[in-house]
Amino acid sequence: MEVISRIVSVAMVSVFVQNAIFDRAFGSNVAIYASRKNGTVVGFTLGITAMTTIASIISYFLDGVLLPTEFGWLFMPLIYSAVIGVLYVLALLFFWRVFPKMFRRIRKYVHLAIFNCTVIGALFLNSNYGSDLPSYIGYGFGTGIGFFLACLLLNVAREKLDSDRIPKVFRGYPIMLIYIGVVSLAFYALAGYTADF
Amino acid sequence: MSDKKKFRLSPDGLFRQNIVLMSGLVTAPVIVAATTFERALILTLSFLMISYTSILICRFIPRKIAYTVRILAYVGVAAVMYIPTMLLLNAWFPETASQVSIYIEILVVNSLLLAKTESRFYLCPFSEMAADALVYVAGYALAAFAVGIIREFLAYGQLFGMRVCDAPVPAAKTTFFGFFLVGILAAVCRAITNHRRRARTDVIRKGAE
Repeated sequence: MEVISRIVSVAMVSVFVQNAIFDRAFGSNVAIYASRKNGTVVGFTLGITAMTTIASIISYFLDGVLLPTEFGWLFMPLIYSAVIGVLYVLALLFFWRVFPKMFRRIRKYVHLAIFNCTVIGALFLNSNYGSDLPSYIGYGFGTGIGFFLACLLLNVAREKLDSDRIPKVFRGYPIMLIYIGVVSLAFYALAGYTADF
Repeated sequence: MSDKKKFRLSPDGLFRQNIVLMSGLVTAPVIVAATTFERALILTLSFLMISYTSILICRFIPRKIAYTVRILAYVGVAAVMYIPTMLLLNAWFPETASQVSIYIEILVVNSLLLAKTESRFYLCPFSEMAADALVYVAGYALAAFAVGIIREFLAYGQLFGMRVCDAPVPAAKTTFFGFFLVGILAAVCRAITNHRRRARTDVIRKGAE
C-alpha cells in the first residue's frame, strides 16, 4: 500500500507540478502534432506512457550501476537511447505479430512517439531526482499522463485558436505556443515555484 | 551545357523552415534554457556538434538498411557525439554547461536528425546536404541568440554578460515567458517570410505583364 501511494504521489507531481510540456517544454512539438486528432492523442499517449514507465524501471537498475562511477553520466544518453531502442524494436515486433494491419499504418510514425524529448527527458529527470524504484515508476507513468493532459488541453483549444479572430500571422504554431505559455503560467501558479532546470 | 546539376544553397532553414520558429522541430532548449547569451551560445555549439556532425556521419549509413534500424543508428551516432561535445563544453563553460546539460542530452533524439534527414537532407548530394544542414543550424542559432539576448536583458538587465540596468521583467527567465517569446518571434518570422514571398510574387507578376 505504501509503495502504491508513493507511486501515485510522485505521478501526481509529474502531472501537475513538473509537467513535461508545461514546465520543461519536453516534446512540446510532438504534443502540438499529436493533439491534431483524437486518435493520435490516444496513440501517442499510450506509446509515450508505456515507454516512459518501462524505460524508467530499466533505468533505475542502470542508474544504480552507472551513476556512481566517475564518467558514467557521459554514457547515459547512449545507454538510455539503447534502452529506448530495444523497447522500440520490441514494440514494433509486438504490433507486427499481433496487430499486422495497425503495424502497417503506424510504422512510419511510431518512432516519433518513442524517440522524443518527453521519453528521454523523463529518464534524465529520474536519474537526477529519483530516489527509489516506486519514484522512478511514478515519475515515468506520470510523465505519460502529463503528456496526455497537455495534448487534451491543446486539442480542446485548437478550434478556437484557428478562428478568424486570431491575426493571420499568429494562427497555427505561434498562437499554439502562446496558448501553451498561458497554461504553463497557470501550472506555475498551481505549483508556486520556479524550476531551476 | 553541363549535365551536372548546379550547386544550389537553399536559405529555407534560416527563416521559411526555421526549426525553432517555423516548424517547431527543436524548441525545448530554446524555450526553457536560452535565458542568456552564454546559454544560447552553449545550446548552439552543442546543436552544431551533436546534430550537424551526426547528420553528416549518418549520411554514410546505407539506405538499403531497414528504416527501423536506420533510426536506431541515427540516435546511436548522436549519443556517441554527445560524449566529446559535453567534455568540450564542460571545459569551455564549466558552470553554465552543467546547468543546461539536460537540454543538451535530449538533443540525441532531436527531430531535425530523425525527421529532416529522411525527408530532405539525404535526398540531395553530400555537399548540398552539408550546406543545407548548416543553414538549418544557422536558423537554430538565430532563434537561440534572439531569445537568449532578449531574455538576458529582460530577466537580468544585462547584455552579453554586462550589466545595463535593473532587471525590467525578472519573470523572463521562466518557461512560460519562453513560450510567449518564441510564439511572438514565430509570428514575426512568419510575417517576414510572407512579406518576402509577396514581394517575389509581385516581381514575377510585373515581369509577366
